[in-house]
Amino acid sequence: MTIRTTVIGAYPKIGDGLEAQELRRALHRHDRGEIADAELDKVFDDVTRTAIGEIEAAGIDVTNDGQIRWDDLLSPFARTWSGVEPGPLERFYDNNTYFRQPVIDGRIVTDGRSLVRDYTFAAGVAKMTLKAAIPGPLTFATLAARDEQYASLEERVLAIADATAREIAGLKAAGATMIDIEDPAVAASPKNIELAREAYRRLADPDLALTLVTYFFPADTVLESLASFPVAAIGIDVRSRDTTAFDRLDAFRTQAVVLGVVDARNTRLETADEVARYAERALKLVPQERLVLAPTTSLEYLPRDVARAKLTALVEGARLVSGEKVPA
Amino acid sequence: MSENLLTTTVGSFGKPEYLTKARGQVARGKLGATELEELERKATAEWIRRQEDIGLDVLVDGEMYRGDMVAYFAERLEGFKIGGLVRSYGNRYYHKPVIAGKISRPKPMTVSWFEYAQSLTSKPVKGMLTGPYTLLDWSYNEAYPTRRDAVLALAEIVRDEARDLERAGAKYIQIDEPAIHARPEEIEIAIEAMGIVTAGLSAKTISHICYGDFAAIYPQVLDLPVDQLDLAMANYGYRWLDLFDRNPFTKELAIGIVDVHAHATETVDEAAEGIRKGLRYVPAAKLWPHPDCGLKTRTVEECVEKCTAVVEATKVVRKELAKVPA
Repeated sequence: MTIRTTVIGAYPKIGDGLEAQELRRALHRHDRGEIADAELDKVFDDVTRTAIGEIEAAGIDVTNDGQIRWDDLLSPFARTWSGVEPGPLERFYDNNTYFRQPVIDGRIVTDGRSLVRDYTFAAGVAKMTLKAAIPGPLTFATLAARDEQYASLEERVLAIADATAREIAGLKAAGATMIDIEDPAVAASPKNIELAREAYRRLADPDLALTLVTYFFPADTVLESLASFPVAAIGIDVRSRDTTAFDRLDAFRTQAVVLGVVDARNTRLETADEVARYAERALKLVPQERLVLAPTTSLEYLPRDVARAKLTALVEGARLVSGEKVPA
Repeated sequence: MSENLLTTTVGSFGKPEYLTKARGQVARGKLGATELEELERKATAEWIRRQEDIGLDVLVDGEMYRGDMVAYFAERLEGFKIGGLVRSYGNRYYHKPVIAGKISRPKPMTVSWFEYAQSLTSKPVKGMLTGPYTLLDWSYNEAYPTRRDAVLALAEIVRDEARDLERAGAKYIQIDEPAIHARPEEIEIAIEAMGIVTAGLSAKTISHICYGDFAAIYPQVLDLPVDQLDLAMANYGYRWLDLFDRNPFTKELAIGIVDVHAHATETVDEAAEGIRKGLRYVPAAKLWPHPDCGLKTRTVEECVEKCTAVVEATKVVRKELAKVPA
């Protein structure tokens, strides 16, 4: 059996060639009132199809929908949840990429169907296993610009966790069995780890494989805590910064480890050998059935052609480890 | 020129429509570089005149000839490659540069624009550079073993450019570090690099910082070897000023009093209130009112409105100061 591979977060929405920039053009035209919502929607769907197609063509085992409709990690929910509005632009952690900080101006309520349409569409396109994704409660709560509703960070995190649980239930009803919870704040803000644990208790569902995905920051100080979170897998970025996590993966005794080994924030291309060496190092501490290889984070931090090449290196590296022949 | 509350701007202005159009034509190969440069010079001259008309004290060239504050330099340095398109936000994309080899500067990159802009006015024009830490942080590093190695190599390049600007007569040199708090644990690297850039300069040195968590690098950022820090404040509801309660601000402060990301311009009263807030922490001789950030995402008209609000608000507060015996 080959080590499994997956993607994380958003896939590049456009490529460098003009033919790969249909979404950019459609959004401009939509802004100018030249095309209607339905036409823009069709382009979003086309690009989603392209993204899933490219991920699958690279040989990735578990894909997502590429988050083509997402302006940023929080925007789909800031748009649909009542009690939340998109607020000021801010830098997304240590990236030259920006997001709208949510502003909480009332009790957060959702029907849990924010992602159902996108998930259902992607399920009709994907040939491989499809997973969904949603931001983590601690990340959402700590990135808010203002909160006029909840008296403390704790109240805010738990209210967001309850809304997130509804979204997870909505995705489950739509057929999802695997969901990534992208929560870099768990690593960025380790002092809140017990609050995060309380939030994840509210998300847990025995029928779903939830992955708590950390990225950008070393998870060093929270590694042992994460090992007892009620989730099926933990995502760890071992490339963005110096980290001891790589040598402590045996902390995870039951959960799978989604190991970010291909740097999604640098164009320098890993070789398949390099990927294989990372995998072999991890295999000393985690059995193969509980190891999944992935990019460190969203591939959208890279130009699309580099993203594609990174996925190819990832898959070839995984095949090298299991002695499978890499197709020329 | 009044010595109190000198007004200025962060560096970039909105491009006139004829220039935006021309840049598009150049990209499609329908217009030559010489024709484009003519239009850039025309737009620069217009912005110098507008700044004088508005009554700003220390001017900028407006960066009519730059698209992006990192790519402009990357395109002119050896060792850089122009990378593919990456999204910054919404439907905005940029060519993120790649450091692919050892970096060197074949020739000065901003000096002739500075000289041209300065020749059009008797008011001082600032020399405008992007700092070494930001140049690295906003590029992919494929060539240098560590981020620090790349930052220090870039520092030498920026230093050479700063010295050339000073030789060309620049009395103010701004070395922007908007990415300085991207990784607060690396603030020492940014400080070390800025030390290389500003060592031996006699011009007044300024560094603009925006977005991000300023609190995470305060008060360490006071060790950044520049005379003036230039901070976005209006967009943040002036909350960074609270930090100065515990650790007094020790440099000159260029204070952002109008938000550049909103189409609507603050009223003169609102902007004046921003200056008054700043005066609680920094004396008038060391406080410089200006917009929060570069204005390149605004239209020419919006830029003029925002700058006018800055100048009018400053007049109001200067009058108040004149009434109070020192």
